[in-house]
Amino acid sequence: MTNLLWLQGGACSGNTMSFLNAEEPSVCDLVTDFGINVLWHPSLGMELGDNLQKMLRTLVSGKLSLDVFVFEGTVIRAPDGTGEWNRFAGRPMKDWVQELAQVANYTVAIGDCASWGGIPATAPNPTESVGLQFLKRDHGGFLGKNYRSKADLPVINVPGCPAHPDWITQIIVAIATGRGAELSLDDLQRPKTFFSSFTQTGCTRNMHFAYKVSATEFGQRKGCLFYDLGCRGPMTHSPCNRILWNRQSSKTRAGMPCLGCTEPEFPFFDLAPGTVFKTQTLMGIPNALPAGIDRKGYIKLMATAKATAPRWAEDDIFVV
Amino acid sequence: MSTEVQTLDISPVGRVEGDLDVRVDIQDGVVVNAWTQAALFRGFEVILRDKDAQAGLVVTPRACGICGASHLTCAAWALDTAWQTEVPRNAILARNLGQIAESLQSISRHHYGLFIVDYTNKNYAKSQFYEEAVRRWAPFTGRNYEIGITISGRPVEIYALFGGQWPHSSYMVPGGVMCAPTLTDVTRAWSILEQFRRSWVEPVWLGSSMERYEQIRSYDDFLAWLDEKPEHANSDLGLFWRMSNDIGLSNYGHGHGRYFSWGYLPHEDKYNKPTIEGRSAAVIMKGGVYDGRTDVHSVMDQAFTREDTIHAWYDEPGGLHPFERTTTPTQRTSTDFSGKYSWSTAVTHADVGRLETGPLARQVIAGGDHGEAWQNFDPLLLDMYRKMGGASVTLRHFARMHEVVRLYREAERILREFRLKDLWYVKPTERDGRGWGATEAIRGALGHWIEVQGGKIKNYQIIAPTTWNIGPRAASGERGPIEEALIGTPVADARDPVEVGHVCRSYDSCLVCTVHAHDSRTGEELARFRTA
Repeated sequence: MTNLLWLQGGACSGNTMSFLNAEEPSVCDLVTDFGINVLWHPSLGMELGDNLQKMLRTLVSGKLSLDVFVFEGTVIRAPDGTGEWNRFAGRPMKDWVQELAQVANYTVAIGDCASWGGIPATAPNPTESVGLQFLKRDHGGFLGKNYRSKADLPVINVPGCPAHPDWITQIIVAIATGRGAELSLDDLQRPKTFFSSFTQTGCTRNMHFAYKVSATEFGQRKGCLFYDLGCRGPMTHSPCNRILWNRQSSKTRAGMPCLGCTEPEFPFFDLAPGTVFKTQTLMGIPNALPAGIDRKGYIKLMATAKATAPRWAEDDIFVV
Repeated sequence: MSTEVQTLDISPVGRVEGDLDVRVDIQDGVVVNAWTQAALFRGFEVILRDKDAQAGLVVTPRACGICGASHLTCAAWALDTAWQTEVPRNAILARNLGQIAESLQSISRHHYGLFIVDYTNKNYAKSQFYEEAVRRWAPFTGRNYEIGITISGRPVEIYALFGGQWPHSSYMVPGGVMCAPTLTDVTRAWSILEQFRRSWVEPVWLGSSMERYEQIRSYDDFLAWLDEKPEHANSDLGLFWRMSNDIGLSNYGHGHGRYFSWGYLPHEDKYNKPTIEGRSAAVIMKGGVYDGRTDVHSVMDQAFTREDTIHAWYDEPGGLHPFERTTTPTQRTSTDFSGKYSWSTAVTHADVGRLETGPLARQVIAGGDHGEAWQNFDPLLLDMYRKMGGASVTLRHFARMHEVVRLYREAERILREFRLKDLWYVKPTERDGRGWGATEAIRGALGHWIEVQGGKIKNYQIIAPTTWNIGPRAASGERGPIEEALIGTPVADARDPVEVGHVCRSYDSCLVCTVHAHDSRTGEELARFRTA
């Protein structure tokens, strides 16, 4: 039996909705096949009344073991650091988070908001929102740089807006089957197994990227979205094109530029005028280049791409 | 009922929890007063100020992970009207399909995950249907609970085919959509729809073919259908209906009896040059206002919208149209039930007052003879409303579930109507101006108002269905729709007032809702529980 508690701070419930799309395993499978005991979840929990507060106190006191503490949404500190704008079970949510994180074996931040603040922390950050252990790329966040859960891991960040259901269910299953210690995290505390490859890895538009064929506007089947439409696929770490969304597709496959939502800077440029769905360039060269490539290398790569592009590259290969 | 109903002392902030708090006073086993309090502020309108004109396409779906497609729909249409775009017919169809996919998901997910689990509450152990309810609907382990939760993920696979993922895609953009699907996307979508129908809608929910169900046009027809075959009576719909009546859910949760809908699903050939004024006559599912007390339907216009802030935590004058609002939160939020007590404004119709929104509102409006002759007309719920003596928990939830077949049919029609070789997007010219986009999220009327100035957002205002329904009292003292619907709710056990939860849940508020029940004389808190 693995006790799991899922709470929401400044959240839209998007990660919960994504979680409910899970199929292998489904949410019901987690309970019936993997022995996950969902102590409470804001959408799925049955009535608990005052028992909720009582249960939270039992967890904090250590009398009931908190194996996995999943937090969705930002930690809200407004106004003036009090957290009063997000009260839960009789007190600011941030106070519960502080105490529960101390007794949890594993603390998991699900989604961008809990990982690094996400959309609510976009300037001017009216709710003084922060992620569990990061604020954007700054290490520390709400729990502080030195936080470790009882299993001696920092917060496990499962970013994405939302996170894919498999990213979270696989981690829960790993913990439930005793393989939690094998989770290895990158420097942003994301499980490497999901976040070492790029969003571009597996994208169906990769050949158009290679031959520099651009989708210059929306509603086209051919062309790469990186050159003109602001796609961040080559610089973003996620398995979106390896583990497909809703078992069918991905944003870039469907024609939507990657917004880089598994990275701490999302939404990029704080959504300043002129930055949405438009590649930011300087003298025709994108400001943000594919990971590991510099401007000089990029110019060479593109010259070669253009020069060697086969004729079919300009044709529609995804035909009706 | 006693006339000595007293307003309670202000609840200290320490009693507040969750995102929505509902305070009820109970006297002689009946709710005599109620206050609804939205207790979370995320400030999306503040974040959007001065941002890229298109920022709403990224930010607003994230206002609600449950209704993200609805927000995206509004954000796109708001910019379309502000930028005076041309939207090709394929794009209108693709947007509508996304909206429908999200709603089909929500119909099954909300029903099993959030609503029907209450029927397994021990409060109903005496009902003849209780044991069967537990077998089918107990959380995680109930037979149909698992079927319902699992199937609810299928419709949004269609969303992913056209938008890349659900939730939180931004594939709808001014001028059209980002995708350009192929025939295999369409055929796959069709297969998913079929599976949804063959594994849940017909065998589990209806116990009947959709064709037979569609013949039901009146309350009498419905009752006849119910008795026609054991499969009908024993379907999840049949059991829901019979048990709801058995446990009294058809007897309370009335509300103001005034309803409105923005209407939704613009017709693919009638809204290609979208304007604020032209929307009502262009939507397949018609909007309007229905006054149940006078039994009169009338048209609805966004210009009637007002937001009253006298009881809401904003430092703004009351009675403003969304275009005039500034979203200025009060810095210190203490709960004062005679003063300010909610993050939700009290939304009103300038002439009619408070209005309820949601599936029941859509359905009683669908039965009116106002609007355009070609628009959707469905007399069933209006007939039930009239014959059953108004709204109730049962009827409100039935209305939500009733839409599944109609939406399914519209999705099928869309898949037939796509012209795969035609345009999906017409690049618009960015310009300054005011725009309005609206739709019906599954839980009710959603609207976005945008003002673009100098290429950036000067003002962005969202009024969600929950804002209409859970708003606090208006300046006139008139209660919010849920506050009103709670009045008269019988409470069998004041320390476990599950009945109050039913009323709140029948509105499907998109805030996690906590109910606080108080003794109206002593002010003692009797119970507290969450509903979503």
